[in-house]
Amino acid sequence: MTELRERPKPFLLPEFCKGCGRCISACAKHCIEYGKEINPQTGLVPVVVDLDQCNACGLCITACPEPYGLRESPVAHDFELEDPEKLYGTRHSTAPEPVDIPPEIIPLPPSEPLVIKGNYASAIGAILAGCRHFYGYPITPSTEGAELMAKLLPLLDGVFVQAVSEVATVNHLYGTGGAGLPCMTFTSSPGFSLMLEGISYMIGAEVPGVFVNVMRGGPGLGNIAPEQSDIKLGVRGLGHGNTHAIVLVPSTPQEMLDLTILAFDLTFKYRNPVVILSDGYLGQMTGKVTLPRTMRKPGIPKWAVYGDRNHRKNLISSIYLSETDLEKHNEYLNGKYASMAVETRAESHLCADLDVLLIACNTPARAAKGAVEELRNRGVKAGLFRPITLWPFPVGQLLPIAKRAKRIVVVEASAGQLEDEVRIALSRTEVRDLAPIEHVRRMGGVLPQQDDIVGKVKRPYAANKAAARRPEVHA
Amino acid sequence: MSSVFYDRFERHSNAEGLKAHATHYCPGCGHGLAHKYLAEAIEELGIQDRVVAVSPVGCSVFLYYYFDVGNTQAAHGRAPAVALGHKMANPDSVVVSYQGDGDLASIGLAEIVSAAQMGIPLTVIFVNNAIYGMTGGQMAPTSLMGQKTATSPHGRAVMAGQPMKMAELISGLDGPVYVERVALFDAKNRNRAKKAIKKALQIQAEGRGLAFVEVLAECPTHLKMNPEEAEAWVREKMLPVFPLGVKKDSVPEPWFKPQAPSFDPEKVMQLVGGSSDHTERHCTTFPTHLDLHDVSLKLAGSGGDGAQTAAMLIAHAGINEGFDATHIPSYGPESRGGTSYADVHVAKEEVHNPAAPKPHIVIAFNSPSLVKFGPTVRPGGTILYDSSVVKNPGKFLEGVKVYGVPMTEIAVDLGKAMVKNIVALGALQAATGLFPKETFLAAIRKALKEKCAMIPLNEQAFAWGVKAVETLSS
Ligand code: SF4
Ligand code: SF4
Ligand code: SF4
Repeated sequence: MTELRERPKPFLLPEFCKGCGRCISACAKHCIEYGKEINPQTGLVPVVVDLDQCNACGLCITACPEPYGLRESPVAHDFELEDPEKLYGTRHSTAPEPVDIPPEIIPLPPSEPLVIKGNYASAIGAILAGCRHFYGYPITPSTEGAELMAKLLPLLDGVFVQAVSEVATVNHLYGTGGAGLPCMTFTSSPGFSLMLEGISYMIGAEVPGVFVNVMRGGPGLGNIAPEQSDIKLGVRGLGHGNTHAIVLVPSTPQEMLDLTILAFDLTFKYRNPVVILSDGYLGQMTGKVTLPRTMRKPGIPKWAVYGDRNHRKNLISSIYLSETDLEKHNEYLNGKYASMAVETRAESHLCADLDVLLIACNTPARAAKGAVEELRNRGVKAGLFRPITLWPFPVGQLLPIAKRAKRIVVVEASAGQLEDEVRIALSRTEVRDLAPIEHVRRMGGVLPQQDDIVGKVKRPYAANKAAARRPEVHA
Repeated sequence: MSSVFYDRFERHSNAEGLKAHATHYCPGCGHGLAHKYLAEAIEELGIQDRVVAVSPVGCSVFLYYYFDVGNTQAAHGRAPAVALGHKMANPDSVVVSYQGDGDLASIGLAEIVSAAQMGIPLTVIFVNNAIYGMTGGQMAPTSLMGQKTATSPHGRAVMAGQPMKMAELISGLDGPVYVERVALFDAKNRNRAKKAIKKALQIQAEGRGLAFVEVLAECPTHLKMNPEEAEAWVREKMLPVFPLGVKKDSVPEPWFKPQAPSFDPEKVMQLVGGSSDHTERHCTTFPTHLDLHDVSLKLAGSGGDGAQTAAMLIAHAGINEGFDATHIPSYGPESRGGTSYADVHVAKEEVHNPAAPKPHIVIAFNSPSLVKFGPTVRPGGTILYDSSVVKNPGKFLEGVKVYGVPMTEIAVDLGKAMVKNIVALGALQAATGLFPKETFLAAIRKALKEKCAMIPLNEQAFAWGVKAVETLSS
């Protein structure tokens, strides 16, 4: 029976006891009873322990749900009963302060240009940006991206997971992004809708990840032809809460590659997801793509929950229970969104001297560019402004051009979602004497064609206005 | 007291007062015990640095207050998906998905079932107390028949279905290697629970597979009982529905040892198709006789006609010559049988609009395609069609050059109907002079780099296409 004596008896600080009594029935020796006195510090009634009969079986300890409730008494010598700090000494977490492991830039040999689809270009951009983790759910017209990743990543000892749904996909990204590694998905509109919940969590918890949404026709199942009707989701609808993310809108296969690489930079720079809004047409479009001369090997940022000693201190969470803490967090996030203003990007084509300003992004920007050329050939001084970031909107670049324009025509494959962004951005500048905004809109998978645009511009503004008096859904 | 618990719970209301050392759980809550056994197991296995704990939504949402490990808080039901993301990022980590019954057995069913079936090593601790705790005592997927809850005030009835038996469901899948249901209501079962949790962690830590432990726990608060009565309730009411024991134990040898991802530049370049092989150029100028800046083509046929391949070869040829080029296929359901068409542009500097609503050149492999796109060709343009299948080409705009080439016939004579699209390219070359012959042939040879044996046949097909147009023109 000597070992029995070596086994420590239980010990309880009354203020850590919730008085649940689970220890009472655990003790065969009836050493523990319900107490009768309310503990003044907790307002609870702790149990009373009398160890006379105790055989140190430890069963009461195993029965206590509280980490600091019943526990083994320290070696029996004198101690100050009331002060846990003195009792056990201060045992701070032994985890070290996390440090950044920086990414590496690796030179690439020169290459002839590739001739590839937009979706492939984006996937290759991700690989060159150091992404070795892909999660996704097949959805047309985005699947080529996932398929290429499925082919290449295993050959690079990377990870391709076909998720059970888009809901699971975004949460895989939350895990891998939370572990500090670059990861991405390809999806299309209905799938993007499903990811919004998780994107809100990622923004709240400051988790990086790249979302390529190859937009298709909606609402509902719609069709698989190109549309731009997720602009509102990307720019103003990233799930619940005060959310924003940089939204990039490529218009060529080359930009699918370049902007994907950029997206990985930005997602880590800001610890915030980045959304690439492409369209079904661009995803399928083959074009010339020049490769960069470097690629990235990612590091592990110091905030990551990687699952090693260096990062043990960390927490990825979007919970701020107290209202003031959550307000502070929102203020911090909003400050971060504001700091993204330096990332605005846009391209202008023949805007130095113009009368008619076309504004378009994605594939419609290419039809608009064609229209600009055609109109110039016919003596109309047209120009194109093409936002490359939709959020933040490049209004600083747009405003000086818009001021010179006599007419502004927004060209888009949606019911005015791009125009809303243009109007919001311009209205915030407080400049009031701009030309009225007209539009060329197609929907349902039909893209605005060069002829539509040229036709619109060739009609005088007054005629367009009369035509527009026909009832229209958009206010 | 396990050293895996923080010495002060600083995340618990900034550790003010007693909260520094007390959990947020109600007195007698089973979560506290599950936490304790998890912490002890992590300590005993010496894996504290490797652990990532994924907190769910539910009463245990604040698990990260207590565990001195890497912590992630997940959306409701998504913990297994988040856990998988962590595990894939660092295969050496030991990832715990800790979930309650609403989280795992209701909103997160798809996530847990798919993660379990995948079988990537993870440890799932499923705390089943037959009720929604955090939201205030509503019916859980695991509530018992007849159990009165806030949303089953008359008792769970048949219309609400039967309680979900997750341990049985999960053990029926191929993925998991160890599934056990344990309870906390007496010393013997607490001991088993502790052992099961430890085993479930060890299985993952050794790379053996996914382990799932269902813990029948007490929620005295919403059972409106004291903890002792709650223990009795679990024993008497839950056990008959949720029998305890090992449901599956087929733990294999360690197998999960992924390699670290490669960042070898040569390998990456080769895989993405980068190559410094320079293709010789044969064009001296842009085909300005067709257009000063941008030539557009429409190729159309039925699924197997090879319109897309031909379109792609034209785009490749243009880019090899240093021009810009684009190709857009019709896609989706349209590409599964029926008409398949392609828009191609070759531009001196930059393709502006990649669609070809008014092409310079139309190549039609069948009659419907010719009917649909023939009339879209612009004035002065060129139409090539397969005269083997199109018997009545119809009338086109004045000034449009129309060539009927027996593409299929030539291809069949050469022994492979498939090469009719290459015959078409030969015809295109001869009819329009878009690029020199060598430009097309170089693109064809490059495309067949991996299938060299096919090159002579394709060269012949191209030559016959050229010859056919030359014969027509002479
Ligand atoms: S150690 Fe055993 S005998 Fe002693 S109080 Fe606890 S349960 Fe009772
Ligand atoms: S089990 Fe723990 S918390 Fe509950 S009464 Fe006993 S000592 Fe107190
Ligand atoms: S409500 Fe129930 S499950 Fe939640 S903490 Fe209280 S006892 Fe535990």
